[in-house]
Amino acid sequence: MSSSSPLSRPGSFSLIALALWIGLMVAISVWMAGQAQHWLPVQASNAAPLVDGLFRFETGVGSFVFLGVVSVVAWTLLVHRAEKYDESDAEPIEGNTRLEVIWTVIPLVLVMAIAWYAIQVNTKLGVLGPMEHIHPRNAQEELGGYLGDRLPAEQVEVIARQWSWEFRYPGRNVSSTELHLELDRPVTFRLVSEDVLHGFYIPAFRLKQDVIPGRAINFNLTPTRVGRYRLRDSQFSGTWFAANQADVVVESADDHASWLKQGAAAPLQSGLSPAVGEYADRQARGPAGWPTVVPAPPPQVNVPGSNSLPHDA
Amino acid sequence: MTSTALVPEPLPSWRRYFGFSTDAKVIGIQYIVVAFFFFLIAGLLAMIIRGELLTPASDLVDRTVYNGLYTMHGTIMLFLFTFPVLNGLNNLLIPPMIGAPDMAFPRLNAVAFWMVPVFGFLLIASFFVPSGPATSGWWSYPPVSLQNPLGQLINGEFLWVLAVALSGISSILGAVNFVTTILRMRAPGMGFFRMPVFCWTALAAQTLQLIGLPALTGGAVMLLMDLTLGTSFYRPEGGGDPVLYQHFFWFYSHPAVYVIILPAFGIFSELFPVYSRKPLFGYVYVAVASFIIVGLGLVVWVHHIFPSVAQWMRNLFMVTTMLIAVPTGVKVFAWLGTMWRGKIKLTTPMLFCIGGLINFVFAGITGVMLATVPVDIHVSNTYFVVGHFHYVIYGAAVMGIFAAIYHWFPKFTGRMPYEGLGKLHFVLTFLGANLNFLPMHPLGLMGMPRRVSSYDPEFAFWNVLASLGAFLLGVSIIPFLLNMISSWVRGPRANHNPWNAIGLEWLLPSPPPEDNFGDHVPTVISRPYGYGKDEPLVEHQAEIERALTLAEATR
Amino acid sequence: MTTTPMPPANPPAAHGSGHHASHNLTGFIIFLCSESVIFLAFFSGYAILRRSALNWLPPGVEGLEWRMPLINTIVLVSSSLTMVAAEHFKAKEKLWLFRAFWLLTMAMGAYFLYGQAVEWGGLNFGLTSGTFGATFYLLTGFHGLHVATGVLLMGLMLGKSFLPGNYNGGEEGVKATSLFWHFVDVIWIILFVLLYVWRN
Repeated sequence: MSSSSPLSRPGSFSLIALALWIGLMVAISVWMAGQAQHWLPVQASNAAPLVDGLFRFETGVGSFVFLGVVSVVAWTLLVHRAEKYDESDAEPIEGNTRLEVIWTVIPLVLVMAIAWYAIQVNTKLGVLGPMEHIHPRNAQEELGGYLGDRLPAEQVEVIARQWSWEFRYPGRNVSSTELHLELDRPVTFRLVSEDVLHGFYIPAFRLKQDVIPGRAINFNLTPTRVGRYRLRDSQFSGTWFAANQADVVVESADDHASWLKQGAAAPLQSGLSPAVGEYADRQARGPAGWPTVVPAPPPQVNVPGSNSLPHDA
Repeated sequence: MTSTALVPEPLPSWRRYFGFSTDAKVIGIQYIVVAFFFFLIAGLLAMIIRGELLTPASDLVDRTVYNGLYTMHGTIMLFLFTFPVLNGLNNLLIPPMIGAPDMAFPRLNAVAFWMVPVFGFLLIASFFVPSGPATSGWWSYPPVSLQNPLGQLINGEFLWVLAVALSGISSILGAVNFVTTILRMRAPGMGFFRMPVFCWTALAAQTLQLIGLPALTGGAVMLLMDLTLGTSFYRPEGGGDPVLYQHFFWFYSHPAVYVIILPAFGIFSELFPVYSRKPLFGYVYVAVASFIIVGLGLVVWVHHIFPSVAQWMRNLFMVTTMLIAVPTGVKVFAWLGTMWRGKIKLTTPMLFCIGGLINFVFAGITGVMLATVPVDIHVSNTYFVVGHFHYVIYGAAVMGIFAAIYHWFPKFTGRMPYEGLGKLHFVLTFLGANLNFLPMHPLGLMGMPRRVSSYDPEFAFWNVLASLGAFLLGVSIIPFLLNMISSWVRGPRANHNPWNAIGLEWLLPSPPPEDNFGDHVPTVISRPYGYGKDEPLVEHQAEIERALTLAEATR
Repeated sequence: MTTTPMPPANPPAAHGSGHHASHNLTGFIIFLCSESVIFLAFFSGYAILRRSALNWLPPGVEGLEWRMPLINTIVLVSSSLTMVAAEHFKAKEKLWLFRAFWLLTMAMGAYFLYGQAVEWGGLNFGLTSGTFGATFYLLTGFHGLHVATGVLLMGLMLGKSFLPGNYNGGEEGVKATSLFWHFVDVIWIILFVLLYVWRN
């Protein structure tokens, strides 16, 4: 029977084994951090590498912590199990102030370090404004808001509705339900909603912004990879919330210019809105559910585009 | 001189549990049984949800039905299962643990309980009104929650707000009771630093309820006025602000998650010592950390709405959110320190505690990821968040609740639960929860939003795995229910301390008499969890033990 | 039944009506603290909506008339003083003086409610007159509910004061009611400043 006693000194064999085990955990954690990139979609905006870097770092650190805890649990289950008929108590170790301080200070330092890193990333993501001149393709320089050569941002107005996305290019008199963006060119969105909250979310860009009715929100990004991506409504917006998706096409400057030119000449027609078709089917079948808000009519646009072609992310 | 306090009563008749009783031990069981009834309903809704999500298309139920299902799944699980079951545990455990005969306000206690079936009825009734139930998620954000297509006064959303308001009142009444009881009715000699950790965490959690719930109630009153009276607190066209609701909602609902997890922390802190035969490592730090969590928990709510708020708010709340990892980590390390060099017994309660600890650490790591704004902007409102919170709630809190039920079952029913069924329940739960909720993380990272009744085909693989896990979880409840019913009816009789645990509740017969220690409350003379120290917890402990053993032998 | 040794019965002071009476007051104070948060929520909602509004006042509304509400305020605040006087007399066991001042307090509370109703009747905007109207009626209405509750509680205590031996177990009902009344008073002062004194 004793009061709290220090841990008995581990022998050198134990120390080496422990060091090896920690080394193994570090190796696995580094590997996990690398794997984390595979869990994410392709990187299609200049924000993506920043976000992914932070996430990989967190995965690595988190893996180490998780493995550490599981190791301790596993060790106690292996080595410190009670003997079958042993009903007696173990050593009455009530605590260890030094250990308490260590496992308060180290996590504090760690989370503050992660927070500091995250604030740096956040600041870079928030660095926006048409006069920033940053070269996202240049590995040497910092990634941030805008491409060099002081390209002015393209302006796109985004109108969110129950349940469709309309994109207007005010300078070019083009409207569409398929978002077209120019590679490496900054774009400023003006997000508005005609009815309820919506979420403007493009996973491949790693960016989302809630669209709030009654407000016009400016939102900036620069796409960095040619391809077709999904835009999904991320803030629950009613019955056909899940179907409120649109495609985002990132294309070369030439392709973008010709798309805009053709669009301006095209007559207005009904844009994409899967909710409208589903609602009509539902009415025809006889409703199988509860009363719903009627979908807004599809926006009349120059270029409806498609939302059923294969997308990269 | 007779000692009514030490005679094990004949097992109470089941009839007591169906009527209006002011005995905290009866109310506690009532809360727990009613809670599990609603758990089964909300669980059934989850099975249908996961059935729909087996395939990408919306092909099982109509989209309006799906939206009602997921809304009511969340609402029922939180307000009709989690909070009531925790209040049930508070009722059962707090008075005996501190040596009190009952709660400070027994009639108020009963009133708070009986409100639960009332608002439960309202929520279930909402499925049957013409407009259907609320369909805007358990958050009920305006303006979408204010869109009342049929235009009727009594609609699902109306009933939802009413139910949530009543739930809030019931919880506040309970909180007043629990806080007063813990502050005022402890046994002689039981200063705060001789109080069991479960009471510390209960005090912390109920303090959060008292501070946070009125904010939710205020926000909900304004929502109801907008819905029913045509005001415009949250309607932009009338000058209102939808984001204002989000602040009111999360000012409560973030602390609410600590209300949920703190009791689980308390349970783990009680059980790890018993099943490691070792004192709780760093008891004072664990106790104090509960209140640091309370303080920090009140200043982090904006992390739920990063995409809706300005940049300066994002950085500020990111930092406060990250800080909570520290007191939480102190508790996790304390449990590890308790197990280290202990004599571990892998009983059912211990298995649930260990599983809960591991799941909680995983959830804590994804929590830190969610706290960092750049990552959160990508994964907020996706399945990453759904995976995170189900790991905390099901993986940790519910496992803690199961651990508590198995551990204290003998004390309050007077019978032992079956160990084999218990272990089976654990294995199915641990496997099912991990299979159900782990795949949600890659889904969120890939960009699958939450609350969707259909999804793009590339998400199918992980969804199928998640649904299989959900069905396994559904099956896992069967051994639990069988065990509870069978053990209560015909399990072996339990003595006053089947686990050889240290605590005031274990110095009472199983089950305890109506007024616990009555007028003979022992004086506490040492800190809790004195395993291996050979010191009594209370004065005259040897005599009390002898009397209990004697009474059991002559039963 | 055999005689078994066991811990001595706790001294009577440990349990009994004295302690339960103080539990009541503790519980009530905790409840009041919680109740203050809902007012805080309404206050902050009002402040945020007002600060962010482009046109706070609805068309046709110039502002709020403040003279009559000021009189109401003076009456309400004074009623807290009469209540303190009432408690003072009760402590001195001068029960009829206690009842007189208690009744006076009730009358002043009732006058406040009457004044509030008159003010409401004379206003040219309603609940749905934008966020201005909604917040005004919500704040004054919710507060008014509390005043009415206070008057009712006072009536109850007045009735109980006629029961013989009512105060033998401690006067928690009176203390709780007076705490509640002062609480309602403080809330009103904050409300008055927010609604009537705050100019853009």
